[in-house]
Amino acid sequence: MRADLGGPGLSCSSLRVRRLAAGELKGALREEAARHVAECARCQETVLEIEAEKAELQRAVPFEAFAAGVAEKLARPAAPSRLPWGRLVSRWAPLAAAAGVALVAGASLVRGPGTEKNAAGGVLVPGVRSKGAASAELFVQDAAGVHAITGGSVTASARLLVSLHPSGRTYAAVVLLEPGESSVIYSGAALSGPLPQAFEWTGSGDATVVVVLADEPVDAARIHALADVPRGADVVRIPLRR
Amino acid sequence: MAGLRVIEGGRAGAPARSAGLPAGLLAELYEKHAAQVYGRCRFLLRDDELARDALQETFVKALRSIEEFRGAASPTTWILRIATHHCLNERRAARASWRGQLEALQEGRRHHTEPPEKRELVRVLLAAAPEEAQEVAMLYYVDELSQQEIADEMGRSLPTVRKRLRQFLAAARKALRDSIPELELPEGDDL
Repeated sequence: MRADLGGPGLSCSSLRVRRLAAGELKGALREEAARHVAECARCQETVLEIEAEKAELQRAVPFEAFAAGVAEKLARPAAPSRLPWGRLVSRWAPLAAAAGVALVAGASLVRGPGTEKNAAGGVLVPGVRSKGAASAELFVQDAAGVHAITGGSVTASARLLVSLHPSGRTYAAVVLLEPGESSVIYSGAALSGPLPQAFEWTGSGDATVVVVLADEPVDAARIHALADVPRGADVVRIPLRR
Repeated sequence: MAGLRVIEGGRAGAPARSAGLPAGLLAELYEKHAAQVYGRCRFLLRDDELARDALQETFVKALRSIEEFRGAASPTTWILRIATHHCLNERRAARASWRGQLEALQEGRRHHTEPPEKRELVRVLLAAAPEEAQEVAMLYYVDELSQQEIADEMGRSLPTVRKRLRQFLAAARKALRDSIPELELPEGDDL
């Protein structure tokens, strides 16, 4: 049996159809290609494939997620460390230098099988769906350097930074919950790694950072309590105290 | 009043600003090229998450060479080549085995009297071929460029392109001999 691997036809080329669709062909070349495509079943298949690709892109990688991912990668050093800690050090180092403090250690809020509570005090809400190893980390930069939140205690003027590990989740929301108040820290694509902005908690008493990782867009402004988290989402709760 | 103060650029500055991206550029590139690049990455990697990552990596490379990208005779060809190159590297890094994929392809055939879908067969056989032959095979069998167009695109001579295609066919034929012996591929002279 002879297998056909394909290849260019006398007048057919899938790339030429793509160039036509992208508006890259001009003048007589464009007219000739358009005339051919209109009458050619093989090239029409490429046209249908292009349409299918557009639909798949919209479904799987909406612009917001795409832009966030590209910006995140552009901001990385040329040879990034694969370790979250390495990434954090490289990004916070200029801030630490300016403040005249040293970088120390960080700790993860990593979900383990069956765990309800992690070492840094983050609590996983029972009953949420688990997908892979979606998790989050919260780092604090204060006079002692950069480290994980210990016992939820946060000093004044400390900078807080959430780092996400979406593990296939597409959307994320990070909300600060205080008694009678809620504030959106982040809402958008589930970036892998530290969020674009750090934040400072200026309140006092008890508060909670809630990280939601989901497959559908999350309306962060509607999260005023854990009960408002959409069903099926992964949630990490990190207590703060001052 | 809520006790939250967002620190602008608290990590490394807002991403778009730190990357120096003109407003609208990314949206324009997404609209024009992202769908086919994502399609190419899914085709080669067969994994949606890896494909999403490869899509972003491809555009990072394009943005870092934006003058070259915009000055290319065909930006579509340019960016698809970047995506193909990236994905082929990923496959090599993952040590993609043609043997296992061929066996899966053979098992997946409903009627063994019919040959496998041609692009799928090319995709699987790529892993058996030398590096440059893989890229030439993609341009020839998937993008359907003529040998002369490939030579122009890659800055290689026509005999070199033909030699790479023959290398691909020889490697593919050898790979098929064990897994799907009833399949015959065109001889190198047929090119």
